[in-house]
Amino acid sequence: MARRFALHLVMAVAVGLVGAALLHLVIVLLLPQFSERDAYTRVLAKGEIQRFWRLGETPDKSGLAQDDPYLQTAVCAFDLGESPMRVAGTNPGVPFWSLAVYDSGSNEVFSINDRTSVAGALDVVLATPVQMTLLRKNLPASATQSILVESQSSEGYVVLRALAPQQSFAAAVSQFLDTAACTPFEWRSRSRF
Amino acid sequence: MFRIPILIAIALTIAFSGGIWSTIAALNATAGFGAIRLGAWDAFPEAQTADADPYAKSHRANAGKLLYASAEGLAFTAAVDDAGQRLTGDCRYQISGQTPAARLWTLFAAAPGAGTPSPASPLPGALNSRTALYRPDGGFEIHVSRQAAPGNWIAAPAGPFRLTLTLLDTPTAGSSGVIDLSMPSIKMIGCGNG
Repeated sequence: MARRFALHLVMAVAVGLVGAALLHLVIVLLLPQFSERDAYTRVLAKGEIQRFWRLGETPDKSGLAQDDPYLQTAVCAFDLGESPMRVAGTNPGVPFWSLAVYDSGSNEVFSINDRTSVAGALDVVLATPVQMTLLRKNLPASATQSILVESQSSEGYVVLRALAPQQSFAAAVSQFLDTAACTPFEWRSRSRF
Repeated sequence: MFRIPILIAIALTIAFSGGIWSTIAALNATAGFGAIRLGAWDAFPEAQTADADPYAKSHRANAGKLLYASAEGLAFTAAVDDAGQRLTGDCRYQISGQTPAARLWTLFAAAPGAGTPSPASPLPGALNSRTALYRPDGGFEIHVSRQAAPGNWIAAPAGPFRLTLTLLDTPTAGSSGVIDLSMPSIKMIGCGNG
């Protein structure tokens, strides 16, 4: 009788371990969908979308902070549901800047830095594939120099970083990040009329 | 009489506690597979991409960090020295050598969980490629210790800390041949006041 109970106990432990392994897999695979601490949720928690928010040195209520003492960072959440979006800015003398576009699952969509941009200026238009087809058919004169980026996901966020290797660059970096625009792209296709 | 309920309770307890504990442990231990290890330095060049493994995706969803995209840079971290000993503010370290090809780099020391050192603070907690002093051959030597040192010096925090070396605009981020690259070495050169 005691032997039978011991056998049952071993079986219960084995079933428990199999269940633990299954639960481990389920949590790991589903966490990205249900996490409320992921980068996209935190960027949304900064405030309204379609504008840049500067990050501080220490985490604020959104939980985001600069990851590097010399890299000043700004984030902007976008929603391409209504119209494409344009990220633009002029470089007042920052030695390095970079822009990364992520979808709502925090997967990298596109990234660029000052050397890979057109003449060092920040000018990127983000659009969904449908918007991009319409945009290419009838490219406005203001966007001929822009870098056109197609995003499969209509929601996501962009991260703009600028390097201030010394204190004397802080003013230029602040000016760059504060004046950088992250706005809906004002553009109407003629085919509508 | 109560055997079956007891057996079911044991199985459920093991399943839930084991499943939850192992997941938390796995997500805290590492940022996924796909790590490249160069000496004491670790980096995850694909953690921000859609091709990242499920553990990397789960880890980044839980950590909520803004990762570096491939055109931005690649961040290497080190929590141990070349001998495998944990980095601590009680000891003095010398980082010497060269970084892989990159336009710029930054290096800072921070305690785990603490924020990054402020560039405006009186003690230098960070260094970058423009402020560092170089040897004639282009390499550098950086002292990391709580006591001030001549040359390049980074003030170490008290207790265990991590070093983060970020390469900006580097071909390393997009290259699979990253294993051939050499990172600066981290040597412990003494502990305490001796």
